[in-house]
Amino acid sequence: MKHLGSTAALAFAVSTLTFVAAAAAGEVVWWTPNWGQARAEKLAADFMKANPDITIKMEVTTSNGLPQRVLTALQSGAAPDIIEVQHPWVNGYAKAGLVLPLTDVIGDTSDYNKAAINYDTYEGQLYGWPYRVEGVAVIYNVDMFKAAGLDPAKPPQTWNEWMAAAKAMTKDGVYGLAMTGGGEVGNTVTRSVPLIWMNGGNVISDDQTKATVNSDEAVAAIKFYTDVYKNGYSPDSTLQNDGLAVRALFIAKKVAMYMGGQFDLPPIKAGDATINVGAFPIPHPDGKQTTAIVNGWSYVIPKDAKNPDDAKKLLAFLNTTENQGFFTDTFPARTSSMALPRFQDPVLKPFSGALATGRPAPNNPHWVDIGKALFDGIQRVLGGDQDAKASMDQANDEIQALLDS
Amino acid sequence: MKGRVGLYFILPAMLVLVLLIAYPVVYTGYLSVTDPKGALTGKNFVNALRPAVTKQAIFNTIYWVLGSIVFQVVLGTLTAILLNQQFPGRSIIRSITLIPWVVPGIVAATTWAWMFHTEFGIINYMLTSADVIPSPIGWLTDRNLVMPVLIAVNVWKLFPFVAIMVLAGLQAIPADLYEAAKVDGARFWDEVWFVTLPQVRPVLVAVTLLLVIWGLNSITLIYAMTGGGPANRTMITPIQIFHLAFDSFQFNQAAALSVMFFAVAIVIVAVYVRIVPQTPGAAK
Repeated sequence: MKHLGSTAALAFAVSTLTFVAAAAAGEVVWWTPNWGQARAEKLAADFMKANPDITIKMEVTTSNGLPQRVLTALQSGAAPDIIEVQHPWVNGYAKAGLVLPLTDVIGDTSDYNKAAINYDTYEGQLYGWPYRVEGVAVIYNVDMFKAAGLDPAKPPQTWNEWMAAAKAMTKDGVYGLAMTGGGEVGNTVTRSVPLIWMNGGNVISDDQTKATVNSDEAVAAIKFYTDVYKNGYSPDSTLQNDGLAVRALFIAKKVAMYMGGQFDLPPIKAGDATINVGAFPIPHPDGKQTTAIVNGWSYVIPKDAKNPDDAKKLLAFLNTTENQGFFTDTFPARTSSMALPRFQDPVLKPFSGALATGRPAPNNPHWVDIGKALFDGIQRVLGGDQDAKASMDQANDEIQALLDS
Repeated sequence: MKGRVGLYFILPAMLVLVLLIAYPVVYTGYLSVTDPKGALTGKNFVNALRPAVTKQAIFNTIYWVLGSIVFQVVLGTLTAILLNQQFPGRSIIRSITLIPWVVPGIVAATTWAWMFHTEFGIINYMLTSADVIPSPIGWLTDRNLVMPVLIAVNVWKLFPFVAIMVLAGLQAIPADLYEAAKVDGARFWDEVWFVTLPQVRPVLVAVTLLLVIWGLNSITLIYAMTGGGPANRTMITPIQIFHLAFDSFQFNQAAALSVMFFAVAIVIVAVYVRIVPQTPGAAK
């Protein structure tokens, strides 16, 4: 009987043991996305050379399903020490008390992109350490531009000129301007909200109490966005195209212009090096100014991190002027890093310009859902269910319900 | 003593069951009636029911489940009857029929999504180059086409399962029943209607029940092919729950919706289990 009892205890121990993971002292677990893996490995090696008592254990993440994976890790209590997340996610984590404040570790923020700092701030404290920022511009095929009789030195600046250019280049199976209208929801939000802003509208009011996406200015912007497709200048597959899909069509020379980031440039070159690529800032309505959504990535330290002190040490190392400039796929969040040679390429100018004219998305815990409501609304217009006004009326109701809840 | 020994042996299994099934169920129930701070509330149910998408998702779920099952059962049964005939190469055809069911769901869904893609899809490519259609069709983006297309893929995926189950049932039918029918002058379709179908009825009942449960649960196919779009045209309740929890981080609302969905599913299954097998004339 006694023997049996100990057997049962052993069985119990074995079946529970697998649920407990032990962390080694001096080990920092760092979740980093796959596109920066090589650079992350280099930085980790440099750091470990300088700090022999700390070991960095890297886990490579992919963008597909990353928000779910991060959230699960943060809530499970078994989180890594450092995670790279997109700026807009930080506020939600901070509100739920899932990440540690970093204000005193970061110190002076005057060298950082304002929009990025704004994203990472919750109730006066910084909860993320921004290291990468980017904005959208219009990428175009210079040769198609010329073939359509347009002057690449004078790219379209207003919506009317932009639509005319799209029309001029739509021929022989090529579409002039590919808009996104499917796939990744965030892609379409990033590309449509700036049009609403530059027309003087907004998705929600500045005090975040009222939905304003059915104002005349916002409806006109959505009408412009969807008219590109309705006029036949955006591909038949617009309703299922996200940023990656329109890029693939651009590489296949089926699309002459699309809104993208500078992270699109290397893949275009790898896909078809013969394409002569140019870029210009997103055009604006007559007499108004261009703008963009500033997006990007931050580091966070989970509340349940096993080794937050060493994690902070690593973050301080990763965020020096040189290392930010080295690590980012797009632009660094530090202004001083922007002076590095790799950011001086002339084709990058419209993209870095978007950082100056760009705005952050509102820091609202419902922003993901608000974006989804806008996205659904755009899809209803593209699919012919509703016109822009009716569709934005419905989106406005849905967004208002989110703000009220 | 003997009973206790047995208890010890099943203890690890029971522990796993409690941890992996009972705890999540109870915790979901708890989440559904509390707010994020843990205070009791009924607001989650109201908030989950209020958006227009909830109603649309319920309608879509019914459309999806009914549409799928009707074609799965009919096509599966017909296939089983055909495969039960004597013809050369029968076992090879039987094996080939099973392929759609054996292919992993996510692989099948992704492949179909590419085949149906408006721009790059092989289906539009074949149809346009053969001049069957003048311009590409938005199979997965046209508001009236997308659900039928998804149902077709779901039918393709699961009819082999129905076929193989019914085939097993068919093979259990004694040959003398058919001989007796033949003596009475029955033709092929008479045999199907008066001998075969009544004999495989219990199998069909069980299979349909499984299909209902799988249909109500299915996320993979729709999620991978359309993600519930365009504009929520293919949003079904399980995907809405997933979105609420993991995209919107509204775990409490998602739990509330899950609890309601669970209740509805239980009622449907219970009614089905009670009523269907007791229909008069059922084969006993």
